[in-house]
Parts: sequence; C-alpha cells; structure tokens
Amino acid sequence: MPVKKQESIDTGERAMAAEKRPIVERRDFLKILGISGAAATLAGCGNTSIESGVEKVQSYVQPEDFVVPGNSVFYASTCTQCPSHCGVMGRVREGRVLKLEGNPNSIISNGKICGLGQASIQLQYNPDRLTTPMIREGGKLVTASWDQAMKIVNDGLGKDSRIKGNEIVFLTNSVSGHQKVLINNFLESYDSKNHIAYDSLSTQVGDQVRENIYGYTNPVHKIKEARLILSFGNDFLGAGVSPVYLANQYAQFRKAPRGTLIQIEPRMTLTGGNADRWYPIRPGTEGVFALGLANALIQHPEYDTTLPTELTESLKAYDKYTVGQITGINPDAIGHLIAMMWEKTPTLVLSGLSAEGHQQGYQNAYAIELLNVILGNVGKTVTAPMENPFPQMTHVNGNYQGLVALNNQLDAKNVKVLFMMGVNPVYTAPAFIELKNKLSNVPLKIAMVTQLDETAELCDVVLPLLSPVEEFGTHLASYQPEAIEIGIQQPLMEKLHAHTKSFGDVLLTLLKERDEKSYSKYPDYYSYIREAVVKSKPVFKSTLSDDDFWDSALMNGVLHVPLKEAQIDKVKIESVNLPKVETHPEDVNYPFYFVPSVKADMRDGRHANLPWLQESPDPMTTVVWDSWVEINPKTAQDMQVREGDILEIKSSMGSVLAKAYLFPGIQPNTVSIPFGQGHTAYGRYASNRGVNPFKIINPITDEKTGELALFATRVQVTKTALNEKVVKDEGPTTLQQGRKLVATMAADKAELSKEV
Amino acid sequence: MNIKKIELFFFGILFSMLAQLGHAEAFHPGGAPGTQTIDGYNALGPKVEQPIEFPHYTHANVMKINCMYCHTYARRSAVSGIPRLDKCIGCHKMIPEVRDRPRIKKLFWYWDNHISIPWKKVHDLPDFVRFNHERHIQRFYFQDKRPVREVCGYCHGDVANMTTARRVKAISMGWCIDCHKKDHQISKVNLKTTNGPNDCWMCHK
Ligand code: SF4
Repeated sequence: MPVKKQESIDTGERAMAAEKRPIVERRDFLKILGISGAAATLAGCGNTSIESGVEKVQSYVQPEDFVVPGNSVFYASTCTQCPSHCGVMGRVREGRVLKLEGNPNSIISNGKICGLGQASIQLQYNPDRLTTPMIREGGKLVTASWDQAMKIVNDGLGKDSRIKGNEIVFLTNSVSGHQKVLINNFLESYDSKNHIAYDSLSTQVGDQVRENIYGYTNPVHKIKEARLILSFGNDFLGAGVSPVYLANQYAQFRKAPRGTLIQIEPRMTLTGGNADRWYPIRPGTEGVFALGLANALIQHPEYDTTLPTELTESLKAYDKYTVGQITGINPDAIGHLIAMMWEKTPTLVLSGLSAEGHQQGYQNAYAIELLNVILGNVGKTVTAPMENPFPQMTHVNGNYQGLVALNNQLDAKNVKVLFMMGVNPVYTAPAFIELKNKLSNVPLKIAMVTQLDETAELCDVVLPLLSPVEEFGTHLASYQPEAIEIGIQQPLMEKLHAHTKSFGDVLLTLLKERDEKSYSKYPDYYSYIREAVVKSKPVFKSTLSDDDFWDSALMNGVLHVPLKEAQIDKVKIESVNLPKVETHPEDVNYPFYFVPSVKADMRDGRHANLPWLQESPDPMTTVVWDSWVEINPKTAQDMQVREGDILEIKSSMGSVLAKAYLFPGIQPNTVSIPFGQGHTAYGRYASNRGVNPFKIINPITDEKTGELALFATRVQVTKTALNEKVVKDEGPTTLQQGRKLVATMAADKAELSKEV
Repeated sequence: MNIKKIELFFFGILFSMLAQLGHAEAFHPGGAPGTQTIDGYNALGPKVEQPIEFPHYTHANVMKINCMYCHTYARRSAVSGIPRLDKCIGCHKMIPEVRDRPRIKKLFWYWDNHISIPWKKVHDLPDFVRFNHERHIQRFYFQDKRPVREVCGYCHGDVANMTTARRVKAISMGWCIDCHKKDHQISKVNLKTTNGPNDCWMCHK
C-alpha cells in the first residue's frame, strides 16, 4: 500500500528523498497552478528564489562619467507639497528618484522634511497619473493629443471667441515665484487681473489681524527664544505654516532651560499632544479666554500700561468667573497661567485655525494677539519678517474669499474660460455653494493636473502636468523666518510619461500666441526660469559668471537674500475688535459642536492620493485609510456608543456616516472628523474611502473678513445600528492600552505654577 | 492525511504536471553533466536567451580581458551593473575584422539607434536581499590579491568558459552563509582568519 510505504519513511530517508527532489522554480510552480500576478509575489523564500532570465537589466548607452549604477547621486530641489517650501535633496539612482530628504542649505528645512514631503515621491510613480491630455466629447472625457487639446484652448481664447480679459479666470491654490509671475503675465496679456487664489484651509483671519496690528501678515514667531508658549489651537508642529522649521525651533525651545507649552483648543492637535498642559475649551470662545487672561494680566503690579484706557476699561468685563462660565475652563486656571506667564518670560502667544474659524474668528485672533502686546513680546518673540526684494514673486496666500470671488463671477455668468491648477474646489467647496452646478455654465474649463480629481473630471480640457520632481520652478515660502529664501525647484529625473508637460511650457505656449515678440526668445520654461534667476544676480551681490551663478543655484537648491532686518515699529490696537462677552446658547436641534481636524499629512484632501500617507497612522488616534468620528468617552458612555459604531453626523447642510472613535482629547459636547477623505475621484488610493466633512459645513462666515467659519458648525449625532471595526495601529483598548502608562491629572486639579 | 503523506502526494502531482509540460530548462532532475549539487539542490539555472549571445569565452578566456574591464562597476558599487554600450563600441570600432559578424552587426544596430540592449538578468536576487559586489571584490581581489576569475567565480562560476552566462551556483541563503562561516585568511601576510558577517541586517535591510 503506498500509504503505508510513505508512513514508513523515517527521518533519514526523508532527508535522502529531499535530496532527490526536483527543483522547481517557485514562480513556475505557481504558474502551473494557474496562480500568477499578485499571488506570484509569494515567490521569494528558500533556495530557489533566485531568478534567471525573467527580468531585464539594461545598461546605459552613453552615460555621464560620474554615473555608477547602484550608487546614488543627490540633487537639490524644493518641496511643493505645502506652502512652507522646504529645501529638499533627492536621491537618484539609475535615473530614478528614490527618496527625498531635507536640504541642509535650506533655512526652512535645515536638512529635514516631514512625512508629507517624503511621500511626494509617490506622486511621481502613482499608477493613476494622468499621462495624456483629455478632452470632452459627447459629454465624456476622452484621451486626446496635445494638439487637439491646445486647439480647444486656443479656440476658446482666440480672437474669434471675442473674449474680454476679465472673462478669463485663473484659479490656483497659494502660489509664489515664477509660477505666479507667469500666470499674471498670461492674464495681463488679456488685460485680466483675474488670478484667484483659493485655499480651503486659509489662515486669512489671523493674517488680517496681524496685518492690522503690526503691519505684517506673517511676523516671525521666535519659538526658540520663548520660555513659555501659549497656543490657542495653533498646530504649529502638525499642519502649521512651516511645520519642519517650527518643529526644529520647538526642539531647541525644549532644551534646557526647558520651555513650557500650554495648548488651549477644543480638540487635541498634534501640538496639543506635545503640550505640558492641555485645556479643552468650548469652540469659539478662545478670544474670551484670552481676554480673561488679558484682564488678569493688567491687574499685575508689573504691568506697564501702554494700552488705551478705553481698552483696559472694556477688559474689566472679562472677569475669571464669567470667562470660566463661557469657555468651560475652570476659573482658577487663569490665575495659574498668569503666574507662569510672569515667571517664564519671554512668552509667545499664538492663535490657530480652530480659534479663528468662527463667526467671531477675527475678534478671537485679535484678543489672542493682544496678549503678545500686553506681555511685551513684540520685538522679542514676535518680530518683523525680512524685507523681500522680489514683490512680484511673493507668496499669495489663497483664502476662502477666492472661492467667494469665483462664486460671484459664476453667479454673474461672467466666466468664459476657467483655468484651474493645484485646486480641487468641487471637493473642498462647502455644499451650500453648489459649485458643481455653477461650473457647468462655464463654456471652457481647463484643468492642469497630475491626476484626475473631482474638479478635473468636470472640465472640458484636462492637461497632464509633470510631477514636482520632474519640473523646474522657483518658490518663496509664505513664512520666511530668518532670511528671504528662494527655493529652486529642478527636475530630479527625466519625465516618466512622454505626453506630460511642464506647467511653464503650457503657459509659455499660450503667451507666445499673444506676444510672440517678448516670449519667442524662450524656447522652453527652463530657459525662462534660468534667465529670470540669472537676472536676479545683483540682488545676491554675486560675482560669479551667469553660468556659474545658475549652476550654484541648482547645486545649493536655495538662494538667500542678504539679511535686511525690519522692525515692527508701531502696534495699533482698537478695542472695537474684542470678542463679545456672551454665553453661547445651546442649540436644541444641533446640540454638538463640530470641530473637523486638519491632519498634518492629508491637509484638505489634496494628498489623499498618496498611499504612504493613507497608511501612516494618524498621530493622535492611529487610525489608517479611513475617516472616523472622535467622540469623548464620557459622551459615548451616555449615548451607549462603542468604538466602531457608525454615527450619523448631521448639520443643517447634510449628513455623513463614520465610525466612532472614543477620544479623550476632545470636549464632551464636541465631535470631530478629519478633513481629507471622502473623495469620489482622484485615483485608487483616494476614492471611495471615508467621508468629506467640507460638505456639512454650515454657511457661517467670519464677520470681519468673510472667511468661512470652518469650526462653527453645530451638528446632531445619532447612533445607527451598525458597527464596523476601526482599523488602527494601537491595541484593542484605547487609553494607553488599558494600563496607566503615563499618569495624567485633570487640568483643574493641577497647580500649574508649582508643577511645570 | 499526515504531513508526510501530503508532502509525497504534492510532489507526485508536481512530477506528473511537470512531465506533461516538459519544462526541461527550469527543471533538472538528475543534474546536467558537470553541474554542482549544493545542499541537495541542483544549482544549474536555466539557459537564458539574450538579445545578443555575448561570448564571454572569447573575451575573458581567449583575449584574457579582466572581468572588471567591462564589469567596471563591480568594484565601486553594490551592483555590478552591465557594461555601458559605448564601452563595447569603443573597442569594436577598432576591430573592423569582426564587424560583419551577426552579433557585432546587432551590437552596432543598438548603438546607431541609441537603444540600450535589453539583456536578461541571470543572477536576479529577490529584492529583500542586498548583495554588495564592491565589498567582495575589494576584499578578495584587491586585499587578498586573488585572481579575478576565481573571485568572480565564487558566485558566478567559470564564466570565462561560457558563452552567455548561466547560473551555476545555488546562491541561496544557506549557500551564502556556508561561505560566510568559513575562515578566510585576512591577507597574504596576515595569517589571522575572519569569516563573513552573520548578521541578518547585513543582507536584509
Ligand atoms: S513642511 Fe511642507 S514643504 Fe516642508 S517638507 Fe513638509 S510638505 Fe514639504
């Protein structure tokens, strides 16, 4: 019996049998079984995993002498993932960029970059990149040649179209450098000034306050000089204005003598998670708390009065009990904080998005900034930025007003040709704007993208752009802390897809149609950028030849304008801007505050197409690849909500469904969903995943600036009968794995001045 | 069915399937003549069809060209790379006698059209293995001053006697470790011995 025979084989015999085994390439074996493709990647273990004759190994035909396969070459460039524009170094091997790191020459990055910057490499190799132009035919987008696509664009812009300048709109995100210059030149050639910069997560409210008080939208915050930072929802370590630079400053701030960070916000941000003390506050009342502090500060005998009496008088209304009642923070906290502030000087007070995104957002930010003035921080930890010798290249900060401007023009049916680049307004615009419908009235919509997103899908012509690692450019960050730094962007590798084009080349082609004489000398964007950079040589007081100057700019990746420090010479304070002392009435229909969170990687969803970001755990909750609703464990207990229960979050604008995540770092009557997910397009990694909180934002705007109040929506929270597993990195139990690894104390029990 | 039964059953099926498919190249039950058998496994890899049948024999054996003259990256980089095309052309421009041979015609066709030759990999390690050529060449060729054919041959066999290269060593993890376990004399003058690193991270980074 064969069975018996097999059973009788002892170990020795088996070893011998094994020796006689045939070798079968594991890959062949899988092929035989009809398993191939993804399953075949199982191949790899054992001694038969070496392959022969399967893959190709191609040599260079005639490489540069310095090229050694397997050895990396490093090129400097600039990160374009967020407006901080860190200098980066790309590691290139065999003509492929493999990794980005920080460029040590860059003041902003100081040799480091964030996860978002690291992941930008995935834009390049994304399998869903748009590789050919597309045009709309019979209501559908179909692949086309560049000639076909550009003919439609030229026909729309040409003489026969009888187009008037202001009927052309160029919608972008925040933009700077020669990108901005070219856009403006293009529009000017049509006598149009319609460059609209729209950013769904704009800092406009705070910028406006700082502009009005100091005369600068972006004064430098000297974090490292401060000994105490009081931050009202400013996530400067996460999704801030320059996270890499500020994290570096923060590391120095934490060195001996160790600085203290106090964070006040309704939902714990990454920065809040790093703070020594974290105070949850009722959303929208941050300004009132700041004035409570201001009122207590000016009582102090050391207080040196420079504020107008009218203002100090009005501060009296903000006594600690009233403030405590309005904000939900224990009134004694004010006393503790004041004691620390006087002790740990200099201080620095920062306002952030969650304090500014309210109907009284401007007043909140104003009250917070007032603390810097009272504490004497101006000139010490709040200083003026450097003087910028290139005003035409300065960063334009996008804002919600951009969307309003577009919306108004769309309502007036005044837009004939709409160019869009770096924005996805169909995804980010709140539902009440009904942008999708309005866009259908625009006769010619042109999207310039690397990947088809929700907006590009509605356009008539979609032009495939080079990825940032294939492109030239110059960038001026919005936050320029120590010098004016011009980031030079250069291709780190040749373009991957033959039919993609540089943004600059497209615009130069269009410009040549209008003004052949001025632009014919630039065969391509490269020559344009090169000449522009070389012409700026005198500003840098360089004695190098043109060629050497250009080469050194490419090698260093940054150009620094010699220091020319400015001073904040006058501070203008008006008491009319103070937030009102009023209790926030409960809304019976919508009893919860909705405070969406801005993740350092996803931001407003523009990076949801990068799988590294999708798979990296959210630093606060460790959840991956999804949306979730953060709810306070006590509230959850009252509502009998367990982790994974599907909750319906409903505002007056609509509702979304997401899994509950019990999160102690949030106010009891508040829920939060991160921005970034809920795409219906934008490639396989982004689409059909999670929900989009922009769509339930109420139409509330900041009274003063008109910016959308992103954190002022009230919602109902309803538990549905469904429960799904929350995919996350932390163990099955939240809160330090159910063990008290790090003991914490409620803020009202802590005696801050003694402890920190 | 216990494990033994499953195993034999499995190989029974496999034998019959392979016999039917006649995968002679991928599969050498008895071992081809002159093949080494290592760890009980036949080490001879399949014949690989290359776009040009490169005669290693002519170059390395008849002409006695040092392997590293063409495979110049092996001593400088983790990967040995494939010689750049202009290197082949550099010499062959000077050898008009062989210009009309089919292989050389093909070579010049690639050069004239500026196309890189799509060679097939013969020793393709899995991606999770990082073999470093430079480290081995520096140690055994430059430091120990052993003959180059011997040094390259540790892993690649006697390529100088082949036309297109073919795998003749197992190049499995056990096979690598066997060599790393051996005591290698540090240098001609230093009689002390050392063995190769035995740390997982050395190769699996
Ligand atoms: S902070 Fe912004 S610019 Fe800097 S590396 Fe990160 S994403 Fe890039």
